[in-house]
Amino acid sequence: MIQNLPWLFLLLPLAVAAIDWLFFKKCACCAAALSILSALGTFGLCIAYLTGLCTGTPDVYTWMPIATEGMPSLSLGLLMDPLAMRMMLVVTGIGLLVHIFSLGYMKGDTSNHSRYFAGLSIFMFSMTMIVLADNLAMTFIGWEMVGFSSYLLIGHWFNKESAADAAKKAFITNRVGDFGFLIGILLTMGVFGTLSFSEMGTGTEAIPTAVLTATVLCLFCGAIGKSAQFPLHVWLPDAMEGPTPVSALIHAATMVAAGVYMMVRLQVSMGEGAFTETACLVIAGVGAITAVLAALMAVQQDDIKRVLAYSTLSQLGYMIMAVGLLAGEAAMFHLYTHAWFKALLFLGAGAIIVRCHHEQDIWKMGGLGNRMPITTVCFLMGTFALIAIPGFSGFFSKELILDAALEKCPFFFWVGAGVAALTTFYMARLCIITFCGSARAHGAEHAKDGGFTMSMPLLLLAVMAVISGFGFVADYLVPFEGFHAHGFELGLPFYVSMGALVVGLLLAFVIYGCGKRSKDPLSGNFISKSLRERLYIDKFYDKGIIGILQECGARTIEFADSAIIRGLFAQGAAWFTGKIGMLLSWIQGGSLRAYSLIIGIGVIFVIFLLAYTFPSL
Amino acid sequence: MEAAISSILFYLFAAIAVLSAFGVVASRNPVTSAMCMAVSFASTAAVLFCMGAQFLGIVQIIVYAGAILVLFLFVVMMLDVKSEESTLSRLPRAIVGVVIAGIFAGMVTKAALLLPGATEGKCPVAALCCDEACTTDTGATDKFGGPLPALKETDTKEISGTKALGETLFTQYNIAFVILSFALLAGTVGAVALGRKIRKD
Amino acid sequence: MTPLAHYLILSGILFSIGLAGVLIRKNIIVVFMCLEMMLSAANISLVAFSRAQGTEGVPVYDAQVLALFVVAIAAAEVAIGLALIVAMFRARKSVESTAITSLKD
Repeated sequence: MIQNLPWLFLLLPLAVAAIDWLFFKKCACCAAALSILSALGTFGLCIAYLTGLCTGTPDVYTWMPIATEGMPSLSLGLLMDPLAMRMMLVVTGIGLLVHIFSLGYMKGDTSNHSRYFAGLSIFMFSMTMIVLADNLAMTFIGWEMVGFSSYLLIGHWFNKESAADAAKKAFITNRVGDFGFLIGILLTMGVFGTLSFSEMGTGTEAIPTAVLTATVLCLFCGAIGKSAQFPLHVWLPDAMEGPTPVSALIHAATMVAAGVYMMVRLQVSMGEGAFTETACLVIAGVGAITAVLAALMAVQQDDIKRVLAYSTLSQLGYMIMAVGLLAGEAAMFHLYTHAWFKALLFLGAGAIIVRCHHEQDIWKMGGLGNRMPITTVCFLMGTFALIAIPGFSGFFSKELILDAALEKCPFFFWVGAGVAALTTFYMARLCIITFCGSARAHGAEHAKDGGFTMSMPLLLLAVMAVISGFGFVADYLVPFEGFHAHGFELGLPFYVSMGALVVGLLLAFVIYGCGKRSKDPLSGNFISKSLRERLYIDKFYDKGIIGILQECGARTIEFADSAIIRGLFAQGAAWFTGKIGMLLSWIQGGSLRAYSLIIGIGVIFVIFLLAYTFPSL
Repeated sequence: MEAAISSILFYLFAAIAVLSAFGVVASRNPVTSAMCMAVSFASTAAVLFCMGAQFLGIVQIIVYAGAILVLFLFVVMMLDVKSEESTLSRLPRAIVGVVIAGIFAGMVTKAALLLPGATEGKCPVAALCCDEACTTDTGATDKFGGPLPALKETDTKEISGTKALGETLFTQYNIAFVILSFALLAGTVGAVALGRKIRKD
Repeated sequence: MTPLAHYLILSGILFSIGLAGVLIRKNIIVVFMCLEMMLSAANISLVAFSRAQGTEGVPVYDAQVLALFVVAIAAAEVAIGLALIVAMFRARKSVESTAITSLKD
């Protein structure tokens, strides 16, 4: 019995989501309290398992037996290894803080809070499913469920057209990746003969390289969609239409990191041998492209959440690059530190947005440093971690990735260094414009720190953003088996990243001064314009691919509708029936004698049949 | 000899029945039609007598030639129906009707003659001369074929078969008989209901 | 002795004449008379078969009972039918079958 306790990880949020949805539709407070309690419960459970209070692996249940010989049955089981449990800590920990922060953030919002908290709970459920799944089929279920809950939460303010569109965009873009993921799962089933993570990875040598490459790349498609890698990155910035705590939890800390987690999980269970050279190159390449493009686009964004969103993209690119360089350890370390400080940044941004009366344009803020000291300090902590100032958590993890890159492939090292400089630049720009100078709009003039429910999560996250990189925390919490923080050495990576940091900071200060400007001095030229237009990738998708597809689809449907359904079936049938009716209507002449005539003919015919054709009758 | 006479009488009444039936169809005046129908029914009853179904024949006369005919006449008189227009104006329809009826009659005749042994009956005129040959039940290989089997000799005082018919009717078909009487009742009620004057309001 | 076939032929011919009347005549009363003739023609067939099917000179009385029923039903039918005709005459001032075509319109 006790070994089945971990199922609570799944059941608690699911039950709470159901209860919120079904019974507490009108009682937002109850719903919120219940959701927070469930997050607290799972967090406590997670701590209990991490500290060894509880142990044991839960039973595996067969879910769908497959009759075919040699094919594995689909089972439901939980994998409770350190990788999963420490990831669970990140998920439940940030989840809990976001739940609490949401209380403050959603105060005064008129939408249905029960729906919001139910969405958060269902997200916790599905994310837990991904993290604890012991086979790919279960991962896929969680995968789809997070997509669904992300859809719900992005579209929380569904009255706003942009939010509804963003929700759809996120969902549909993810479908593209999920399609590849599903093929990858089926390939895995065929290639390895199992979907279970613990049984994968045997007999990898016997499998042809091309097949392995295809399998891994198909599975990577899922990660591309979920972790918003190029070319499917377009949904993440738009997903910022959702409530900011949701952005912090789903679109910065956990769900988007699920792709990285899944890839690392595969790397661990399939063995690094399964990641062929081609596959690694593609993965690392995609990660690097995403990192660079997203960092470039972040430079010219004016929306505070969009800057952070592109920054998230760029950091996810970093992690994927690390996965491609077979440095799963570094990827997970960065995932872990990034989760804390990016959640912090988003929650900080959320606090600012709320206090500036839902103003997201940084050019309408300014001088917030004096008026919102707690938020500012916390936000700066997060920024320092993100731009990797030595001593903050991001520094250690980024260093680890750069180390790995230098070791495996120097090209990616220099890409990473460039991205680091860009990161420093756009984050410094963001902080200067937001916190320095004076208020540029009315909303920012009276901003002040949020209440307890908003400050407490920020402070806790700020602490984690600072200390989580050090060995005494990281060794126990980084979701990777046998992780040891290396500290850092004075080597090429250190000098280069320091250089990038200095260059970025200097550039930002030179260009933006002390935040006195009211307009971006870089704007106006072609490069800025194309960066603001997100390098026209979204436009290309809209006008090019979606437009053409819609046009083709519309034409096909139009043809099917007008020619086949309306022309042939509806009108054709009507015409045919009408003609037949006209042909037959002379029989129904209304004349009694005509009827009797027909009866007579019929009788003759029947007698003919009975007496002459079938004499035996 | 008796059988031969019965045969001749059958053909005589059959001819009368057919001719008067023609009269029903052909006459333009409904009253004439009704009178022709009376003759036709009476001769039909005679044909039934020829077959030894005396009770049915009597019923035929009473119900058809009596009650039904009077009813028809009554309605014709009451409604003051005019004669139809001349036959010429409805010639195409008449031709169609005659053709169909002719085909029907032809088919029935053919079917009757196709019955095994159907044509084995002797010519009645010849039977007058040699009645022994005729009365003997010859050549009936099948129940459908040949002359009708002779009736069993019964007490001459009772009408042949009436008692047996009554027994069958009131034992085996008792329920059907009762239901039939309900049908008649329903018919009566229906006729009364239909015959009422419908108020205009 | 008259063969069965001749009875049947008589029955068929009477029936056909009735049918022709139904087809040709416009006057519904006459059409109705023809219908009655058809019924009584059928009775001839029934009685003839009753004789032909009999064994040892005893007819099959089932058929005659059926004929009796036909007569009774015919009586009921005439009652209803003539009532209908009277009703129709009241409504349309005519007893011609061409007058009742309102179902068509």
